Amino acid sequence: MRSFYLTLLKYKDHLLFFLAVSLSLVFLLRNESPDIYLIRGKSIDFFSFINSPLAWVKNMTQLQKETELLREKNIQLRLQLESMLAAYEENNSLKDLLDYSRESSYELLPAKVINMGISSNISSITLNVGQKDGVTINQAVLVPSGVIGKTLIVGESSTLVQCINDINYRLSVRIYPSSATGILRHLINDIYEIRELQKNAQINVGDKVVTSGYSKIYPENLPVGKVIEILDERGSFQKVARIKISPKISSILNTFIIVGISFDEK
Amino acid sequence: MKNNNLLFATIGVLLFQIFIVDFLTINLIRPDFLLIYVFYIAILYGRVLAIIVAFTLGLLSDLFGVGSYFGLGSLTLSTTAYLSGFLYNKYERLLPYVFHSIWIGILLLHFYINTYFRFQTIFVSDIANFVFIWLTSFSYTMIFLLIMQYFYPIKQASRVKIN
Repeated sequence: MRSFYLTLLKYKDHLLFFLAVSLSLVFLLRNESPDIYLIRGKSIDFFSFINSPLAWVKNMTQLQKETELLREKNIQLRLQLESMLAAYEENNSLKDLLDYSRESSYELLPAKVINMGISSNISSITLNVGQKDGVTINQAVLVPSGVIGKTLIVGESSTLVQCINDINYRLSVRIYPSSATGILRHLINDIYEIRELQKNAQINVGDKVVTSGYSKIYPENLPVGKVIEILDERGSFQKVARIKISPKISSILNTFIIVGISFDEK
Repeated sequence: MKNNNLLFATIGVLLFQIFIVDFLTINLIRPDFLLIYVFYIAILYGRVLAIIVAFTLGLLSDLFGVGSYFGLGSLTLSTTAYLSGFLYNKYERLLPYVFHSIWIGILLLHFYINTYFRFQTIFVSDIANFVFIWLTSFSYTMIFLLIMQYFYPIKQASRVKIN
């Protein structure tokens, strides 16, 4: 017994390393476990509280710049509004003629980014809204220029968002005007790849990419990005499109979560 | 006393990483001050303490928010702490270029594991880009580690016990 104890003491560093690696592997392999989700949910609430003063300072520094930008945007939008109102009326009357009901209706919950994690690569952001604001897991998170992720872990007053550039993130998208659908995943920086596209789909550089609506998380036609390159290998049965997304993940301060989504029957 | 100092230093580094890292983000890549700290702890105090600190910091960093691969932070930091522990008190016993090559190799391995997990798709489809991301992440943290050399050189840290 004594020799066993002495051996343990002698090799305590190796033993400790083995224990640390084993525990880490347990966490890695049980990523989807409800217990792990619960712990992570509680911890993001705590860390959000620590980080909230910094988020406030960051927001204040950005506020001036944002106000100027919004003023400019406001004038632009006011000019566009007139023509769009006319188009809206026309669209409504045409829909009435076709007896067409609305495809989806959803409300947006504004949320501020509290932190972006502390690991060396950004793959998640934490928002300042949680269960008490009606957020649940698997809700779409977006900014005006496009989708940026989905809610992954929801705490009482904060939410962890899996960003679009996370290695395990996939998004079903549609490319217009060809209407070809595929699965989007991150490649590098703000470049993404759409795979599983039909070989005969007519896709061109500059085509718009939106959500397909096949998923229960994302309603259709949310903006995603624009095609910048098409890879069509002769030996492959599918086409691959590379796209660039507009949102800059590292500088996002405000987002929207789509809550209370309801898909009506057409 | 030593334990208290270490505890405060660990909390300080964690808070530094939390508050400062966002301002130093370049193209989604950030410096890893936790890694630098764990590395120094390993060559200052040895493997046992370094693994405990590394595992704790890694876990806290993951709890702070990662999209996927919860546990990767503690795995990579613990591995780095374990390997860096071999350099504890070794500066005088190894040739300088061997000593420096070993710690650079350990940090490269840390970033290789991290980058491999986070960018598996690029590893399969575009190895050159993968190597580019790996080396840029490594270099960015290395810049801060090199700045640290001005204040507290690694060779001095590794010689503390002998002195």
